[in-house]
Amino acid sequence: MSKQEKAHKSPRKARLTTPELQFLNEWAKRQTKRYRLVQLLGILFTVGLVAQAWSLANVFSDLVIDGAFSVSLLLIAFSALLIRALASFGRERLSAAASRSIRYTLRKKLLSHLTHLGPSRLKIDEDAALSTRVYEQVDALDDYFSRYKPQLFMVSLIPCVILLAVLPVSYIAFGVFMMTAPLVIIFMIFVGHKAAQANRRQFRVLAMLSNQFMDLSQGLAELKRLGRTGQAKQRLSDSASAYQRTTMGVLRLAFLSTATLELFASLSIAMIALYLGLGLLEQLPWDKGQAPVTLTQAFFLLLLAPEFYLPLRQLGNDYHAKQKAEAAATALLEIFNTPTQDTQTASKDDAIQSHLSIVKTQSTSLLTFQALSWQQAGRTRLAPISNHIREGERIWLSGESGVGKSSLLHLLLGFEKGYQGECFVYHEPFSTLDIAQWRGRLAWLPQTPEWVNGNIRQNLLLGIQPPSEQEIQTALEKSQCADFIKALPAGLETKLTELGTGLSGGQMQRLSIARALLSNADVWLLDEPCSGLDEDTANAVLETLNSVSKGKTLLVVSHDTHPISWADRHWNLTHGGLHEQSIQAIA
Amino acid sequence: MSKVSKLSLKRLLLANPWGFAIPLLLGVMASLAGVALLGISGWFLSAAGLAGVLGLAQGFNYFTPGALVRLMAILRTAGRYGEQVSAHEHLLGLLKTLRLWVWDQRVAKAPASLHQQSRGDLLQRLVSDLDQIIRWPLVVMLPWLYALLAYAGVTVLAYIISPSLVLPMGIAALFHLVLIPLMCGRYASRHVHVGQILGTHRRSRFVSVFSALITLTIRGHWQTYAERLEQLDARQKQAEVKIQQAISLGRLASYCVTLGLLASVFYTLMDSQNSAQLSLIAGVQGAWLVAFILCVLAVNELVLPLSQSFVAQGQSQVGIRRLNQLHTVQQNESTANQASLATIKSIKLTQFRGYHAPSNLGNNTVSMTLEGNECVWLQGHSGSGKSTLLAALAGDVLSEGQAQINGVIMPLYGNEMYQSQLSYLPQNPYVFQQSLLANLQLGAENATEEALWKVLDAVALGDWARNLPQGLNTLLGAQGRDLSGGQRKRLVLARLLLRNRPVLLLDEPFDGLDSASIQTICHALQHDYQPNLLLFISHIPSPLSANARVIQL
Repeated sequence: MSKQEKAHKSPRKARLTTPELQFLNEWAKRQTKRYRLVQLLGILFTVGLVAQAWSLANVFSDLVIDGAFSVSLLLIAFSALLIRALASFGRERLSAAASRSIRYTLRKKLLSHLTHLGPSRLKIDEDAALSTRVYEQVDALDDYFSRYKPQLFMVSLIPCVILLAVLPVSYIAFGVFMMTAPLVIIFMIFVGHKAAQANRRQFRVLAMLSNQFMDLSQGLAELKRLGRTGQAKQRLSDSASAYQRTTMGVLRLAFLSTATLELFASLSIAMIALYLGLGLLEQLPWDKGQAPVTLTQAFFLLLLAPEFYLPLRQLGNDYHAKQKAEAAATALLEIFNTPTQDTQTASKDDAIQSHLSIVKTQSTSLLTFQALSWQQAGRTRLAPISNHIREGERIWLSGESGVGKSSLLHLLLGFEKGYQGECFVYHEPFSTLDIAQWRGRLAWLPQTPEWVNGNIRQNLLLGIQPPSEQEIQTALEKSQCADFIKALPAGLETKLTELGTGLSGGQMQRLSIARALLSNADVWLLDEPCSGLDEDTANAVLETLNSVSKGKTLLVVSHDTHPISWADRHWNLTHGGLHEQSIQAIA
Repeated sequence: MSKVSKLSLKRLLLANPWGFAIPLLLGVMASLAGVALLGISGWFLSAAGLAGVLGLAQGFNYFTPGALVRLMAILRTAGRYGEQVSAHEHLLGLLKTLRLWVWDQRVAKAPASLHQQSRGDLLQRLVSDLDQIIRWPLVVMLPWLYALLAYAGVTVLAYIISPSLVLPMGIAALFHLVLIPLMCGRYASRHVHVGQILGTHRRSRFVSVFSALITLTIRGHWQTYAERLEQLDARQKQAEVKIQQAISLGRLASYCVTLGLLASVFYTLMDSQNSAQLSLIAGVQGAWLVAFILCVLAVNELVLPLSQSFVAQGQSQVGIRRLNQLHTVQQNESTANQASLATIKSIKLTQFRGYHAPSNLGNNTVSMTLEGNECVWLQGHSGSGKSTLLAALAGDVLSEGQAQINGVIMPLYGNEMYQSQLSYLPQNPYVFQQSLLANLQLGAENATEEALWKVLDAVALGDWARNLPQGLNTLLGAQGRDLSGGQRKRLVLARLLLRNRPVLLLDEPFDGLDSASIQTICHALQHDYQPNLLLFISHIPSPLSANARVIQL
């Protein structure tokens, strides 16, 4: 058996190096206790299997020869069958529980990781696609943890135990098992390897087909306008047929692996039955006139023969579970491999030490940047900047894309921590700041306004103490939302869903402004509030912003195409650092 | 499957009865051969053992049973292989049929509701529903039929041994094939349903909450929202536990029924001489009984997966229900005024207004007349509904008021005859994940290569395309993601120009373009590709504006 095990493990070990399998193994380890119990029950199951075969064999032979048998043997057989049933019941429950516990913990971890990633999660994928990963992909691990993983143990256990049980009974039967088992495994590896390749290819092609369907469906409106839906249907139909033809060729080969297993299982049952029958008739060519086994032993062997191959066959069936899990693991690892910014705290502490002494002098400013910079993976995401913002100052921050404007905003929002240098709020360094209190002063107006499913009112009042109706009305007037909200049939109760309500980009941006007004935040951070808008709309929105934000501290990121002429100061951020420019030059 | 039919599991089976019959036959053969292999082996061993003991071994015909055993082994293997291959063939055929069905349903949808369904994740769900459903015959129907037929075969054997065995067999079959799967299915299907609803809910909650992550965090309310997400997850977990319970309990019950069947067989056929010994009643041969019991054990293996497969049925049914929501009863639109339409010469709008269905937002009513050979620049401040009006003119969104085309009043919305006469460039045009060539050919199928390059030059994409290593055969990425917004717009414009329709409606065609490209495009629109009627929205002045009639909203 040792040889078998080696043969069985070697391909596994070779692939163990992939990060996906490491990931899966790590998570499986968290449920070691449950998996141990599952293994224990597996042993109990196997014992029940052998006991059942032994007692039934006795019952059968007595029945055939004497027409009678002892009740106690039958009772043993029945209780062995019951033990098997209960053991597999327990195994199923436990492995399902293990899988559940792994998946739901994993999901929680994913959610909290995504939360910590904050705005940088969008570098991985958009929210809808992330939700597919968090829900569907995590659930795709189920079969691996609940079936494949426990079955791996049974695959080595059951054949070993049966071989041990057969050895004292018949050398020939032992020989048949020993001969076929490695053959089965070699064939499984040989054909299975090809099948796995074929399987992967099929997986890819199927994904491609789904993709084509998705693509054509997404552009269906365009196709309808062009009057090409018929052709698209033809295309779908053609590629499905072509796929069917090519895949079937691949599948024929892939199923050979299952068929080989079946063939070995069936043939060796047949061989053992023949051998035993002839032996009992004393007609074996090499052993005429002698029965090598008793009838009891013959039944025992016959009952165990199918069980010997069963776990292997099941494992073959569950093989796709592993592939599915690996594919899912790839998608999940991508999320986990996107680091949250907690790692470089050590270097930051040094920075604090070195700068602490200088800073006390500039304490009148709301925000002070002291050689604030940000390196990530050897890449400069923000060149060192030193400057300060006084309370009530409105600052326009411009610069080409990728120079770190958004990073600076994310940092001020408290989502990025791996920076060097220091940022002070009055005296307090950012790292020791009461972040919740600081965030309470902020309003955030990104490029695409942030909305939850719900009506306009709920979104305006998101996370603040409900103000009076009068205050809401004032905020709406100031942000120039009042008119178009009045035009809505449901007014403030109009639902804002992901699908949009037909509100234009400018109107959504105005609602954001209303929300910022209602929150009484005095520090507003704006990330390209006008980038999706046409020029007229953008100018109108900027004008509104100007009128409502007087007296507040503003940091507005905006391209040169949308100059903020009313800003008090203009910062131009480059890869070399921050340059203060005169506002009159542009205005 | 016809266009108008609703989906049901039965229809799925009947969609291609022969495709289903072949794997069924092969599978039945394999299953019966598997059961028979054990039964015949058992009988053979018993008879041989008996013959050996009685000294009759010389006259025992061991060739026939020996050959039968080998035959069964081969039949089982070949049958299983054939079943898998033919079943998958059938399955792929089914996938094709279903996809086309979904496609037809979506094509039949009104354009305004189409936008709601075109979102990526919704489609993703559609695709996974399809994959769920096509597995139904393979996972649910076939195993059940195999078990049924195996039961039938073994019952015949039971009748031969002793007619009194038929009753316990019948009762066990009732439990194994009907009651236990039905109860599991019934119990689980509710939870499957709940789970699916929770899943949808959880997902939209995720998207909604995460899209406001920063605002929620800085307001200190992230925790409450995240907790609600976790509560949903916990409820989902509960549903999953219940489903798992149904499967496991079903299997346990199946085992118990088998035990009960065996016990009742022995009870029927044995007499107890004393408390420790049971003996066969007269007229029953031990060898046959052994064969029978081995067959029952083999059938047990076939019956065990059934509880699980009926849970899978619940999943398929939920999938079908969701797909059926797509189902649209085709309205018999009044095709009369769509019947024929010559080239559009004039469009006259009276009190016309386009609007979006859910919010009723749109432009204020307008009245205008557009004559042929005209270039019209639609202007208006932000939020005045320029885009909506243009989309309504293109028949893409709902409209009210009156529209006269060539002097005939007709509806514009979803009017295919009318739409075939115009080309419309929306604000976010769609580029397909196909080659550059295929994308362009959607405009004109038989366009020559010369014409393709000409139109690419006309939208100032010629040099870009010539520099692509694979030229026209370059595959464009997901959502045209490797194209910039301006390139995407120009590519779709090129497609529309190839299509060469008399009316051209352009929504912000110059957004994000440099002035040289704008010059090139305007030149093309005024010369080689000049439409009869050009209506455009733009906030950028362009050479077109020089001789354009301005309409202010």
